[in-house]
Amino acid sequence: MATMEKSKMIGDGKSPSQILKDIALSQEGILFIILVLTIMILSRSNENFLTTRNLFNQGRLMAEVGLMALPMTFIIITGGIDLSVGSILGLSAILVGYTWSNLGMPLEVAIVMALLGGSLAGFINGLIIVRINVPPLIMTLATLAFYRGLAQGISEARSVTGYPEWFFGLGQGTFLGFPSQLWLLIIAIIISITVLQRTTLGRTLYAIGNNAVGARFSGLPVDRTLLIIYTFSGFMAGLSGVIFVSRFTTTRSDMGNGLELDAIAAVVLGGTSIFGGKGSIIGTIIGVVMVQLLRNGLAINGVTNDATIVVIGSVLIVAILVNNQIQRLRQSE
Amino acid sequence: MDKAKPKNVSLTLWIPLILALLVFGAYRFLPFISQPELGATTISVLTESRSNNELGVITNGLILMPIAASVLFLLGLWNFANHEVNRTTAAVTALMGVIMLEYYVVFAQDYMQEEATYLSSMSIGFWVLLILGILMVLQVFLPRSTVEQEFKLTKMIANQESAIIIALVALILIVGISNPRYLATRNILDVLQGNAYIAVAAIGMSMVIITGNIDISVGSLIGLLAIVSGRLVVGGWVLGGWEIGGLMIGGWIMPAAPIWVAWIVPLILGAAIGAFIGFLVTYLRVPSIVVTLGMLSILKGLLIMWTSGQRVTDMPDGYLIAQMKPFGISTPIYFMIILTILAAVWMRYSGLGRSFYAIGGNAEAARLSGLSERRIIMQVFMINGVFAGIASVLYATQLSIIQATPPPSLELFVITAAVVGGVSILGGKGTVIGATLAAILLNAIRSGMIFIDVSPFWIQAVQGALILITVLIDLIRRKRQRL
Repeated sequence: MATMEKSKMIGDGKSPSQILKDIALSQEGILFIILVLTIMILSRSNENFLTTRNLFNQGRLMAEVGLMALPMTFIIITGGIDLSVGSILGLSAILVGYTWSNLGMPLEVAIVMALLGGSLAGFINGLIIVRINVPPLIMTLATLAFYRGLAQGISEARSVTGYPEWFFGLGQGTFLGFPSQLWLLIIAIIISITVLQRTTLGRTLYAIGNNAVGARFSGLPVDRTLLIIYTFSGFMAGLSGVIFVSRFTTTRSDMGNGLELDAIAAVVLGGTSIFGGKGSIIGTIIGVVMVQLLRNGLAINGVTNDATIVVIGSVLIVAILVNNQIQRLRQSE
Repeated sequence: MDKAKPKNVSLTLWIPLILALLVFGAYRFLPFISQPELGATTISVLTESRSNNELGVITNGLILMPIAASVLFLLGLWNFANHEVNRTTAAVTALMGVIMLEYYVVFAQDYMQEEATYLSSMSIGFWVLLILGILMVLQVFLPRSTVEQEFKLTKMIANQESAIIIALVALILIVGISNPRYLATRNILDVLQGNAYIAVAAIGMSMVIITGNIDISVGSLIGLLAIVSGRLVVGGWVLGGWEIGGLMIGGWIMPAAPIWVAWIVPLILGAAIGAFIGFLVTYLRVPSIVVTLGMLSILKGLLIMWTSGQRVTDMPDGYLIAQMKPFGISTPIYFMIILTILAAVWMRYSGLGRSFYAIGGNAEAARLSGLSERRIIMQVFMINGVFAGIASVLYATQLSIIQATPPPSLELFVITAAVVGGVSILGGKGTVIGATLAAILLNAIRSGMIFIDVSPFWIQAVQGALILITVLIDLIRRKRQRL
């Protein structure tokens, strides 16, 4: 750790080419190069790929996973994991439908309810993880089943449709020429980067991930920080749920099934270490974009969905593999 | 040994229970008082079938039942009044009586509605209850020193395995009181069988988790291997060749393979895929959660690519191993029990089994004491693959069709079974017996909720809550033990 800090500081005195090499060979740099290569290959093979329309559409599709991947990055940086986000998405989607349709409240209230419900679900995760010291994997594995079950129970497997027109603007409309949910994603990204890089909270996350006991003994508010990020994760999953409903124009209890693995895959692909202590929002964004563009690019080139899954799985493993090897070589230099 | 004073205090605590027992007992006796013909009909029907020897031994049990039930119930209450007898024992004795009576009533009612064919298979549950009740009564007449060693709940839940057994017994008793059909032999066998393949997969998963790794791809792997097995035995699929514009060029159309090949190949293939995962984890040092997250997509994609979503049907009868019933019990139950025992013994006494714990407990120390971490991790993933292979064969043969998509979230069920069974996610702790028991418990909860008429929509929520509670109890207990 100390040597890394040192080399960064010496980096100021290095030649420009050396700094460029450092950036290119960092986790995010390598991923970015892979991403650019992917886009080049995909756009060569199909002219419809690199069009504004298609890219905006892809922006729409990746918003939900993107929103959930941001707090997931925070959580994985602390060495935790949140498997329940897909279920929280489903639960808050149901809350929108249930509050609006069954309780007869205005849709605005329903949306707030969904966001509150999502945050509460995340808060419960965090509370039990912090208070009883349950490993996050186990806690969120249990709530994965529990929240999905709540969604099923509340909805009684009935779907809710017939939302007012204005609500679809969130998931299908545009704002200032950009898909609306992409704005939300961009705002969330900016906030997340700022929090992670510029605030005590963000630095505390790295400290917890590197050495939780050490962080605690240094007087950092470990419990409060964890509570905040798990609640944040629930809130973002709730937000994704609302967008999801707006995009699909209907509410079903199985919404977002398995999305937690997509979010985790994006975070891991983005170079965040699953053991904690290392990672960045930029990497996660590259991961999210890469998965979505691969999926879309392969699809419009006539590759079946199943083959695409295979490619994405392989990319995940290979990217981490290559990255690991390069970082190891750099360290031994 | 002066226990006289506290007993007076504790008696008030027991009053609600006594009242509950009395009310419940009266409630169950009432049908016979208000409808005298019910008892008469039942006894005449039973006597008739007994003389026709239709039901044999079971009918003798049926005649015994109301008598035994009443005796147990009264004895339990009498013991309660007797301050020399342990109150817990007495209460449980009375409870046994009530449950048996409950049995009898439902039995009688079903007999009148000619549903006896189903209920006649109720005997095992009944005999277990009877024996337990008799043991409880016997305990009263044993020397006092034995009686005073009352069974301490805190001692019994000293490890997760016995905690799960207690949870299982409690669940069966609670559900059994409200609906005795739950205790029917057939249902209990169904409960055991339902999650048997998950339990088998959970054995391998426990070993992986004990070494401090995890395998998220096991659901996709089971789905893929099941299709491989089914396709092998049915034949008619194409090996090799290219598909151009919907036309197949080249390749061999495979004939139907012998049944044993279809049973063995998934195991070998599972081990091979496990070896590949192990190679990536150990030699290329990619964390296992990342490798298996990738493998989850890869295997699932390969499966759907290969099958185009078509399910496999028309398997020969001899292949359907999970539907065979030697001695009246389905094969998956044998597999689950035998494999669990073998694996538990192997984990306890073999060198490799012990080294899993060593690696998971303290990898650095294990390495320093001369264990090859790489080889051991490779081996654990291969063993996990073999268990996934066995699970896939059981899964493939339980119905007469094999779906092309693996059951959703199967990997989570397997991991949940291991974790609820007390396997520490941090590695180094847990047993395969706990995992198997947890798999059974999960299915017992699901099936139990159907029997007590929980709305099917809420079943998953209740199951999730119970999983959470089980895990929390495990953690809190461990914390206490450490203190």
